[in-house]
Amino acid sequence: MAPTRTIKNKQAGSKSGGKSGGKSGGAGGGRSKTGAGVSKPRSGAGSKSKAPISASQIKGRPNLPGLDKKKKKKVYTEKELGIPQLNMITPVGVTKPKGKKKGKVFVDDRESMSTILAIVQAEKEGAIESKLIKARQMEEIREARRVEAEKKEAERKAKLEETKDSLRKKRKKADGKKKNGDDDDVNVKELASAGTKASKPKSKKRVSFAAE
Amino acid sequence: MRPLTDAEMKTVLDKLANYMSDLKSLIAPLEDGDRYVFRLNHSRVYYVKLSIANLATSISRDALLSLGTCLGKMTKTGKFRLHITALPILAAGARHKIWVKENGAQPFLYGSNVVKAHVGRWSEDCPEHQGCVVYSMADVPLGFGVTARSTTEARRLDPTGIVCFRQADCGEYLRDEDTLFAG
Repeated sequence: MAPTRTIKNKQAGSKSGGKSGGKSGGAGGGRSKTGAGVSKPRSGAGSKSKAPISASQIKGRPNLPGLDKKKKKKVYTEKELGIPQLNMITPVGVTKPKGKKKGKVFVDDRESMSTILAIVQAEKEGAIESKLIKARQMEEIREARRVEAEKKEAERKAKLEETKDSLRKKRKKADGKKKNGDDDDVNVKELASAGTKASKPKSKKRVSFAAE
Repeated sequence: MRPLTDAEMKTVLDKLANYMSDLKSLIAPLEDGDRYVFRLNHSRVYYVKLSIANLATSISRDALLSLGTCLGKMTKTGKFRLHITALPILAAGARHKIWVKENGAQPFLYGSNVVKAHVGRWSEDCPEHQGCVVYSMADVPLGFGVTARSTTEARRLDPTGIVCFRQADCGEYLRDEDTLFAG
């Protein structure tokens, strides 16, 4: 620890040598040598004290600037950082799956072709079958609805006819009654109009001009 | 020119399965030991014999105009569009068929949909929006389309009602002459 300090002091001394050279010289007898080194050019002083210091430096303090350079800086990937992905469309061709062979995979052998063919055909058959079943079901539903509608219509017509018939019957009855009871009605009416003067036959009023 | 990838093959076969009932016959081995394969060149899918496809590798992609039967075109969105050139293959294994009368053949070949009044016959049990091949009454394939109504619904339709939406017809050989094989 101590030698490094001396270096620092040395540098400090060399920097501040011009200002306070006397002060460092007067600090102690052992440092008088170093004090002389301060006055000398920096390179000479460094070369003298470099070898023993460097050995002790490695032992004592491993994190020197020279060693720091050797240490690799860790590079983080986007996944490790956990940065939220940008909300944008990635075209199909841009994202390439890792570990996959580059380029297109062609289908040229009969086996793979017939496999694809079988899959496609099965899918299509299924789709057509379901379409047909659906169409049949819809047709059944439509037919049922049509039958129901026809039934309702027939019922309505029947009801209408019934009411028509009943009305006709009523009318007929009324007509029959009228025919039968026509004279009676008249008599009753006459009686009602005549009131007490029943003996007097009803006669039309006659107007005549007065003769001159 | 290259073979189709897995996804492309699935798309193509999926479209063909709309019209055809038996797909296995497409890749069945021939008597001479050869077989048919699918090849893609300039986003067009060709159905061609393997021997011819192997011969065609000696021609550069730019110089190769066409080979075998052109089935259709892969769109930029990855879908597949059938061309009228695929009609012979579709007609060979058609799942559902519609026969149009003489008076209906010309309107169909001019690009209009099939109306009920023009239908001479149709296959039973055909669901709605299903691919079908259109034939003349003499069993000559004229084109293909998609059914607008199921067979039962179509029976109740009025004569001017559309039965089949046209997808491709033989008239395209003339109408789309310049874009059908290249461009």
